[in-house]
Amino acid sequence: MPRIRPSTLIKASRDNPLLPLLLKECRTLESARNELRWLREHALRTSQTRTRQQPNPTTPLAEWKMHLLSMCRQRSRGYPLQYILGDQPFGDLEILCRPGVLIPRPDTESYVIQAAKLVEQMAMAEATPSERSSTDKDDPKPLRILDLCTGTGCITLLLHALLSPRFEHLRVMGIDISSKALSLARKNLDHNLQQGLLTHRASTDVQFHRADVLGLPTGGGGDDDADGIPNVEKILSEYFDQPGEMEMSEDLLAIDLEPGCDLLISNPPYISTSDFRNGTTARSVRLFEPKLALVPPPPRSQQFPTPTPTPTPTSAMGAVRPEDIFYRRILELSYKLRTKVTVLECGDIKQAERVIEMHNFMAPGQDRFQDHFDVQVWPNTEQDMAFYGFHHNDGSRSSDSSR
Amino acid sequence: MSQLRSIPRALKLPLKQLQVPLQHRPFTQTHSTHGKKPLPPRLKLNDEDLSVAYLKGTGPGGQKINKTNSAVQISHKPTGIVIKCQATRSQSQNHKIARSLLADRVEAHLKGDQSPSRVSIKAEAARKKKASKVKKARRKYRGLEGESAELEAEEGGEDDGEVVLDADAGERASEDGVGGRGIEEDEVQKVESRKNLKDKDESL
Repeated sequence: MPRIRPSTLIKASRDNPLLPLLLKECRTLESARNELRWLREHALRTSQTRTRQQPNPTTPLAEWKMHLLSMCRQRSRGYPLQYILGDQPFGDLEILCRPGVLIPRPDTESYVIQAAKLVEQMAMAEATPSERSSTDKDDPKPLRILDLCTGTGCITLLLHALLSPRFEHLRVMGIDISSKALSLARKNLDHNLQQGLLTHRASTDVQFHRADVLGLPTGGGGDDDADGIPNVEKILSEYFDQPGEMEMSEDLLAIDLEPGCDLLISNPPYISTSDFRNGTTARSVRLFEPKLALVPPPPRSQQFPTPTPTPTPTSAMGAVRPEDIFYRRILELSYKLRTKVTVLECGDIKQAERVIEMHNFMAPGQDRFQDHFDVQVWPNTEQDMAFYGFHHNDGSRSSDSSR
Repeated sequence: MSQLRSIPRALKLPLKQLQVPLQHRPFTQTHSTHGKKPLPPRLKLNDEDLSVAYLKGTGPGGQKINKTNSAVQISHKPTGIVIKCQATRSQSQNHKIARSLLADRVEAHLKGDQSPSRVSIKAEAARKKKASKVKKARRKYRGLEGESAELEAEEGGEDDGEVVLDADAGERASEDGVGGRGIEEDEVQKVESRKNLKDKDESL
């Protein structure tokens, strides 16, 4: 981290004595000024509501100033701004943030909007030939969306907000292993309904479930994990009403079947243990955000050497890096559900390439149907954009990279 | 002492008399027409002419960092006008604000001052509002000065200026509905800082 120049510090303290505190975390004067403005607005707003609720003349006069100072001190220690203020805008929504749940990132926001556009385009392309059958209109199939590792529920809720005007029948499900995250996601649903940022339909269209995404199907010993967390496949088979079809059919017939899910989107933990410690992960993230949402757990086979049969394609592929284990599992689920579009957030371009490689190896029937799957990378930095030439062509599957 | 107590009463009397007709008067005397008259539609910008930058870094991103900078920068290629907005924490909100500001700026650039554009109408309204504010303030303080001068003349110069000032302060406090002076001071501070906030937002 480059050091802050003393001249900048002097300039900041002349401007406002609180700015040097914020500079410690923000690093640039411009963003420190912005954060101070937002913190001051927050302090004023809370003091106003407090005095309105219980007018107390004995409270210290500059109470909001003390509040502001303590918030700036917290911030200088690296405590995330979103935890201090309690929320983060995400698209047009207001997502509540609480310690223990990952804060939504702007990168995620931009590719969720892009994914929603892609789904709309595909639906428009499909709608034109199917207009001939009127039966479809009487009982249209809902658009099914699955969000794995949902956290605050931000992706799930934003997709509903973006797609509900276009699709009359919509089912969005968010899944997470953390009960803290799930209760926050439900709170976010209620909060955005109250604010009028989501239509009332969201209360029935959106569901949140607790499940372990990594949990492998246990062979008949019960559907629940050792910790009592339901296995993801059990939830999915109930939700997508296809109990028998969840088994991965090596048979190529599966490809011709109707897709079981329209969009599978996920922002799984993807930071490697070495990257978590070597300084590439910001201090604020490392110290205050949940490691559960950032670094994938060590492979289970080492913890419990149970004789669970690993799926054949992965064992032949060779060792999967520990930071990539979520992608292998999610790709597997997406084949089982016959997902139309899969969108995955990756840590960097190299990780995205590894995911593509994994997909090329695992995809059923890839050897015979070369053009059946289409992989796209949506780069996020200018450097990577130049590298990929940034061209788009619609396809049945896409893989997203965001860094 | 009895004389001292009578001073605020003497001050209050003319005010109370004034308040009766005040209630029947409309609250504002400025023209309310420019609020009703719809503004001409905002200039539509072509998406192809715009280039949007979300100020992405070159280092790692995603889960590894938690940046709070939500600045959006839009440039209009034909005119070369660039607008950067970081007023709110919301990227989409900043985008909307930047876009509307850019539309106004481009319109002003293309049309100039001669034709009635959104920008010129708004500027004119703001100018009028400010002028009437200044005028009102001037009228008010001229009136107050005149009153106190009359008072001094009535009392025959028996008391010193300090008492008049005190009475005046008490009058103001009771008008605001605030009990003590200390709280009032704090209120003023709050209002000032809120005003600063607003000004900052507007300057963006």
